[in-house]
Amino acid sequence: MSNTLRPYLACVRSTLTAALTLEPFPSQVSERHTVAEIEAQSTPEVLLTPLLISRNASEQVLIEPSINSVRLSIKIKQADELEHVLAHKFTRFLMMRAEAFVILRRVPIKGYDISFLITNRNVEDMMKHKLVDFVIQFMEDVDKELSEAKLSLNARARIVAESYLSTFA
Amino acid sequence: MSEIYQLTSAPLTAHAFNPTRSQVAVSPNTSEVHIYSKDTAGGWALSDTLTDHDKLVTSIDWAPNSNRIVTCSHDRNAYVWNPTPSGGWTPTLVLLRLNRSATYARWSPNEEKFAVASGARTIAVCQFDAESDWWVAKHIKKPLRTTVLGLDWHPNSVLLASGSADGVARVFSAYMKGVDSKPEPTPWGERLPFNTVCGEFASPSGGWVHAVAFSPSGEALAFASHDSTITLVYPSPNAGEPATIIPIPLPSLPLLSLVFTTETTIIGAGHDCQPYLFTLSSSGEWSLTKSLDSGASGEKKAVGGGGGAVGRLNNSAAFQAFRQADSRGVVAGGQQAAAQPGTRLTQSGTELLTVHQNSVSSIRAYSYGSGGDVEKVSSSGVDGRLVIWDVDGGVAAVGAGVGKLGI
Repeated sequence: MSNTLRPYLACVRSTLTAALTLEPFPSQVSERHTVAEIEAQSTPEVLLTPLLISRNASEQVLIEPSINSVRLSIKIKQADELEHVLAHKFTRFLMMRAEAFVILRRVPIKGYDISFLITNRNVEDMMKHKLVDFVIQFMEDVDKELSEAKLSLNARARIVAESYLSTFA
Repeated sequence: MSEIYQLTSAPLTAHAFNPTRSQVAVSPNTSEVHIYSKDTAGGWALSDTLTDHDKLVTSIDWAPNSNRIVTCSHDRNAYVWNPTPSGGWTPTLVLLRLNRSATYARWSPNEEKFAVASGARTIAVCQFDAESDWWVAKHIKKPLRTTVLGLDWHPNSVLLASGSADGVARVFSAYMKGVDSKPEPTPWGERLPFNTVCGEFASPSGGWVHAVAFSPSGEALAFASHDSTITLVYPSPNAGEPATIIPIPLPSLPLLSLVFTTETTIIGAGHDCQPYLFTLSSSGEWSLTKSLDSGASGEKKAVGGGGGAVGRLNNSAAFQAFRQADSRGVVAGGQQAAAQPGTRLTQSGTELLTVHQNSVSSIRAYSYGSGGDVEKVSSSGVDGRLVIWDVDGGVAAVGAGVGKLGI
């Protein structure tokens, strides 16, 4: 199962590198304004085809590029109810602090757990190859965090149950 | 030997050199235009700031004969700056009559007029009105339906090529009655009133056209589009026959800027952060010859390499190879093909081996050789660097140049 992780991440890396070819584009709809075209969706010719990269049915990445902004949405693997709750809490924690992240979107795209919005301003301020590294590292770390959280939750539950039930023994 | 100058830490949106190459006007991603002069030590010192624009200055062009600067910006204005005897610059009003941002501006080769591309789906071609001391625009509107991203003039100063966001490169006639004399017939057409479309060309997979360039004789047109191809167009001299269109697919990310150095060589640079050289072989085939950035092929050590751990084991190549295989999926015994040419995957993440650390925003001819061929090109990038490249490549001193930067 883990032998699909490397090709999956390599595919996301190369797609994201190609999608991050952003440039400043003034809005055609409103004068003297620049909007993230992928969010506004008002000029169809500057939007590119969205790309879905699936590792399996439960782990997917949707990359929606445009001329001056890219939206990347990640669907995290959630096998059972417990992981579902943990993932929801974890992503909610991150998204409430989206301003500190700069490239994180406060609300995920429908059907996904967390979304990034990278605009040409972000690409000018930060190095593109480092941004791609960050996103790939994030994808790896999220899975690790969730499995750690689940393990520690189970361990804690066992300890609590033992210490409680031992009073009845 | 390439000269590398880190002018600012902000991206350089546009740059233009003066005729003697002793001054350069740049737009540091703000509404100001900074003019740097070459100082005695060989570096660049800020000598002037032009502040008339309200929003981002998108394009600067410096006329080589009349020494005038045209700038255009997102505030829908353009200005023509004339040098004053005291060394400063005064702006002249330009009546563009645009209702969207201006994206690109270029002087015509005879410097009597200039063209401004805009998001208002028009190209404004401006001529000087001496009575009122301003520049008046005529609009090319007819087939344009989206933002025009790039322009280039034909050597006869009448034909104008444009690339726009609908993926089509067009050649227009910008013949203005008072200003131009009747042009000689060209393979692009004869008897061309203003706003005639001489040709419309698209690349095979479509994609926004970022840059267009005419060859030095005007017989060929090249344009770079977002599907990572450069397309060459040769119009046929017989009217009615379709033009020959030759697409060159690239193994790299899309190019943002093109310049013809001779009739058979093109230099393009873009999101791959390095200039590429394309040549037409004697058998009539265009191909990517090499990158002007020799460091990108990994010949020189990456600047500021990671690691530095003590101990024999940590520095051994075998240890590093297995460590990378474990943590980053880099196959032991060979470099995993990095997503981009010119990068290298290390422990601390991807490192860019190119001189430019971010995309190259524009590339222009810098100096000419004896035969009129371009010898050196200058490039400005989103990383704030201005680099002057030798077209013959063989940049043996890139390492020395980078070392001088002291990073």
